Amino acid sequence: MGQPPTKPPPGYRKTSLEERALKFDSGAPVTGAVAIGDAIASTFGDGTVRFFDPSEDAPAEVHAHNGVILCCAADRKHLLTGGDDGQFLRIAPDGTVDELANFGSKWVDCVAASNGLAACSSGRVAYIWTSGRSEATELEHSSTVGGLAFDAKGSRLAVAHYGGVTVWEQKKHRWKKSKLFWQGSHGAITFSPDGKFIVTAMQENALHGWRLRGKIDLAMTGYPSKAKSFAWAGKTPYLATSGGYEAICWPFDGPQGPMERPPLCVAQHGDNLATCVEAFPLLNAVFVGFQDGAVLVSELEDSKDVMALRGPTGIEVTAIAINQPQSHLLVGDAKGHLLWAPLKK
Amino acid sequence: MVSTEQVPVTVLTGFLGAGKTTLLNRILTEQHGHRYAVIVNEFGEEGIDNDLVVDADEEVFEMNNGCICCTVRGDLIRILSGLMKRADQLDAIIVETTGLADPAPVAQTFFVDDDVASRTKLDAIVTVADAVHLDAQLGEHHEAEEQIAFADVVLLNKTDLVDAAGLDAVETRIRKINPYSKIIRTTRCEAELNAVLGLDAFNLDRIMEFEPDFLESDHAHDHDDDITSISFVSEIPLDIEKFQKWFGKLLQTRGQDILRSKGILNFSNTTDRYVFQGVHMLMDASTMGAWPEGQPRNSRVVFIGRNLDSMGLKEGFESCKAE
Repeated sequence: MGQPPTKPPPGYRKTSLEERALKFDSGAPVTGAVAIGDAIASTFGDGTVRFFDPSEDAPAEVHAHNGVILCCAADRKHLLTGGDDGQFLRIAPDGTVDELANFGSKWVDCVAASNGLAACSSGRVAYIWTSGRSEATELEHSSTVGGLAFDAKGSRLAVAHYGGVTVWEQKKHRWKKSKLFWQGSHGAITFSPDGKFIVTAMQENALHGWRLRGKIDLAMTGYPSKAKSFAWAGKTPYLATSGGYEAICWPFDGPQGPMERPPLCVAQHGDNLATCVEAFPLLNAVFVGFQDGAVLVSELEDSKDVMALRGPTGIEVTAIAINQPQSHLLVGDAKGHLLWAPLKK
Repeated sequence: MVSTEQVPVTVLTGFLGAGKTTLLNRILTEQHGHRYAVIVNEFGEEGIDNDLVVDADEEVFEMNNGCICCTVRGDLIRILSGLMKRADQLDAIIVETTGLADPAPVAQTFFVDDDVASRTKLDAIVTVADAVHLDAQLGEHHEAEEQIAFADVVLLNKTDLVDAAGLDAVETRIRKINPYSKIIRTTRCEAELNAVLGLDAFNLDRIMEFEPDFLESDHAHDHDDDITSISFVSEIPLDIEKFQKWFGKLLQTRGQDILRSKGILNFSNTTDRYVFQGVHMLMDASTMGAWPEGQPRNSRVVFIGRNLDSMGLKEGFESCKAE
């Protein structure tokens, strides 16, 4: 692994985070990053998983998939991954790989985990594994699954697809469904922390939300590009989203959520589009990665102070993750460069 | 921003049994030193086993953008985005459509979706036609006509099963629908791959090369074919404002019936050539530098579609001439 080949612009001074960061060039696009306890797991376009642990000098590498790792999620102390090789894997930081399912030539497009439940999707079917049972429950949908999310308790699974969302709720060991409709194609999906709202990223320049009580629609539009990344941040909480020229943060306090309220917009970076966001709970802040490689951090509540963490590199930020103790940050980009750094000096 | 090279995407259409799978197997198995990914539909004629084959669902959805005929292939957006995350660069991607598919949503995906357009580009629409059955299929299924109408290349396959007169007749029928496609006669899809892939037919630069048969412009056509084509040429320069007003309204109101449109225009107030091409209501246009020395400086447009007679195209085009 060497240094990234791109040079910063003339006159550019390294940020203090860059001064103390470890930099890697993995050679394959970074497709995801997620905290696993103290460590952060990152996934790559060549099927590799790397675990970055603050107590280790170098990341632990696991050659997991024979192809692109399309999706990942933290499952307590393990990482769940889905790939274009049809494998759904559970990977331990010590390198142990368990194959939970193999769909052959079909891609595993989405994964999710919560409270001992693990889920993945391939084509139109979502599969749920309950801990201690080897057989998965199959949930079929009318079109390809674009996103999966459990609520915090693991009692509901929201599945995004064409034309809306199917919410599956576990009642007496059976999964019962209800539907939310909105025309278009729905991808990444999330429950609000209180479980009262569901939001999807669409294959258009918009997000769509529903307040579950009364199935009320929330259209979150006006983006100059697709809002592919989002994170719940701040005490309010806000749903911070990418896709704009700054992080567009929708307030979800109160019974109406963001209905008829303007979003909070933070961390503007010239005319660069935000491509990736991650919450920084310790400071009620949000990390924002941009298409030119820059990463900013902005507070969300009382003050809106912004600080540059990483300067422009010319390569789109595709992943940002903070570990659970909130001591270390990992940034990855579309060409496989990684920055791994302690947040405090 | 660091510019990323766009991977060319070829759309392969054709009716069931025409020979698409034969062509795909050749593309995947021939020793050509290139890496091609193939996106096949779920209900393919026969299995193709290769780790660079991806199953697709042909999930067409309407955009919420107010454009009434703007349908795109959602599955394609997802799959192309996944393929672009590979560590190794692909040389090309081929999208096979089901026999009864309308090629428009595939093509429109490249006009409408920014992610798709930034990393990939539509290379050409290649239609495999069965020389034995095409004539009957054209009469029975509007999709067969659309596949011919959209084609940049028609592989007229199974020519060994039809006599010379029959081949000429079917070629004439193809020409009536689409006089601008390149027709390649084959028996088992054995065309050179470079006649099918890497054509860059949707590049505005390449529109300069299209030479429709203007002697036949305004030709009378038989009304047994639903889809027809029509072309016009003007030696008198056009007025840019008049043209944009007429053409914009035409695509807006009749875009559903206009399958493809292309043109090179000579505007009165500029020395640059202006080129455009459209798929239904969506259009790409650009100035393309000065007219080359010694070449005629005229305006040429072509339309392929339904009900072209009712659109007043000739009068509309004539009215764009500068005073």
